[in-house]
Amino acid sequence: MMSLMKPDIQMDESFYKVEEIRHLTGETFSLKLPKARFAFKAGQHISMGIVGGNQSREYSIYSGENDENLEVLIKEVENGYFTPRLRRLKVGSMVEVHGPFGKFGMEPELAAKGKFVFIASGTGIAPFRSIVHTYPEIDYRIIHGVRYSKEAYDRQEYAGDRYTLCTSRDKDGDYYGRLTGYLKTCKFAPETHFDLCGNSNMIFDALEILKEKGFDRDQIHCEVYF
Amino acid sequence: MKYHLITLGCQMNIADSERVSSVLEGMGYERTDKEEDANLLGILACSVRQKPIDKVYNKIAQWNRWKNKRNLITFVSGCLLPADKEKFLKTFDLIFPMSELGQFPDMIREYGVVTPAGLKIRQPIMPKNEHIAAMWHIKPKYQSTYEAFVPIQNGCDKFCTFCAVPYTRGREVSRPSSEILDEIRHLVNQGYKSITLLGQNVNSYGLDKNGEEITFAQLLRDIGEYGSSSEHEFWIYFTSPHPQDMNREVIEVIAAYDCLAKQIHLPMQSGDERVLIKMNRRHSMDKYRRIVADIRELIPQATLFTDIIVGFTGEGEAEFLNTVAAYEEFKFNMAYIAMYSPRPGAASFRWEDEVTSDDKKERLQRLSDVLKICSHEYNESLLGKTMRVLINGTDRKTGFSTGLTEGKIIVRLDHHDDSLMGKIISVKITSAANLSLSGELV
Repeated sequence: MMSLMKPDIQMDESFYKVEEIRHLTGETFSLKLPKARFAFKAGQHISMGIVGGNQSREYSIYSGENDENLEVLIKEVENGYFTPRLRRLKVGSMVEVHGPFGKFGMEPELAAKGKFVFIASGTGIAPFRSIVHTYPEIDYRIIHGVRYSKEAYDRQEYAGDRYTLCTSRDKDGDYYGRLTGYLKTCKFAPETHFDLCGNSNMIFDALEILKEKGFDRDQIHCEVYF
Repeated sequence: MKYHLITLGCQMNIADSERVSSVLEGMGYERTDKEEDANLLGILACSVRQKPIDKVYNKIAQWNRWKNKRNLITFVSGCLLPADKEKFLKTFDLIFPMSELGQFPDMIREYGVVTPAGLKIRQPIMPKNEHIAAMWHIKPKYQSTYEAFVPIQNGCDKFCTFCAVPYTRGREVSRPSSEILDEIRHLVNQGYKSITLLGQNVNSYGLDKNGEEITFAQLLRDIGEYGSSSEHEFWIYFTSPHPQDMNREVIEVIAAYDCLAKQIHLPMQSGDERVLIKMNRRHSMDKYRRIVADIRELIPQATLFTDIIVGFTGEGEAEFLNTVAAYEEFKFNMAYIAMYSPRPGAASFRWEDEVTSDDKKERLQRLSDVLKICSHEYNESLLGKTMRVLINGTDRKTGFSTGLTEGKIIVRLDHHDDSLMGKIISVKITSAANLSLSGELV
């Protein structure tokens, strides 16, 4: 049987060359790509695939809107399909990027006057770093839940009094235990906006805690990692 | 030259198939329902579930066997995942995204002339949609004389974890409103009675244009204004909206214009917050509840349809009972209930499908029973009322006709008259069953 063959597709604005790989822990790394060729709102995500492959995954943008590089934060999933392949990328490798997507993006007017609590598990901190990079003056607080303190990705970039690390497997964080345990102990101003990002179980539990504290569901925004 | 086209999946594929037919018939091809008679065999595939994709594999295997006996060209388009595309490249002669439909005649003409052997097509990971506008310019060959589907948008940005559509149709792109209005005016003037606006998330319409296109509410308003000035009776439907982008303004507009059908299809998928989060639906039950309250307040006569998935990963008995409770609370008139099946390409495919098949079947049955109770309760409230009904089927043998109310409730009519086909007539409701009504001509 014969097949009609069409010319190979052209490399276009969707393709980015990996410029730098930052190894943050044994499993977690970031890919720095050239500056985004699209406008995005801090907090949004992209879809990324490896050139030559036929799959893609969604990643929150880790860099700020005006940063010189488009950056994504990736944790390698043991026995996973996609992240081990991303892990094998080298500087100069090509990836295909589409986006931006999602409504988790921060609005400038809100960033200027709102009070925010960002609640993240693991690499779910990515959209919040993007927001903090984009709006350095924003009134925020980060509650970051990880297993080990070494997973406090780029912690030095956040003011000490704005970042709380909750560690469940070692005692080197600010709080020993799950972030939901810490969240129960917290008090927040009634007008606070809550942004939650991470795995669905954490988001659901945190959501319930915040609702029990009397916050309206409309004050709480969720971005699930899957 | 004859062609045979198989269309799988949703109304979006049906609308696409009408444009494929238009292109092929413009080339001189004649449609045939018998695939044995066709020289050109094609499928518009659907990747939402595994079953339709399995059908594509079965069909192409059969067609390729026929190639030993006669000359055939085969093609596939529609919703295709990259992994399936790779496989179809080896089995179909032609494979193209709908955005390249305009080049389809050239592909057919070039077929068999010169092929650069060994050159492998690398498909973009996400379909590129810049050319979708060109596809919309192709005038469809409508399959019905009274019911039509009008695409207003293509693609999806929502990334629900159970769904692969963002990977098959690409990101959301809105069709120019002027084109949509032109197509609707044309259809109405041709006598069409039921027109459905199509899109994966119709109520995100215009949002991709960053203020350079009107909103979905305004699009409906413009259609409503046209309807008010038209002498024709017709009903405008839309499917599917996403609760995330639904707002009170849309409901106010539907309430304000007669031609905007008082039937709303609002996919809920699950009544449990935890499952909704796992599905990445980005709407809460509170939000859903507010939308339904707005509908009941502003359009009390509206029927409400929904989509529900039972047996999704993470749905235990308690979570399922929340869906049952939500169903009883919202009293849907109809629900398209699907048992969850993991789709390659969707995020949930990577998770364990932990609900057993028996449990899924049982939940489907239990929810279907609730559906029947709610639907029957509503149908009984219509007894004795006179409804406008669009006749869409007549059966000489039985002497019955069938139709749909504006709210899309099935009506069986003890009357047969071919001339009523495709007309909106008045029917007095005389009896109510679980999922349908019976009536008599007024």
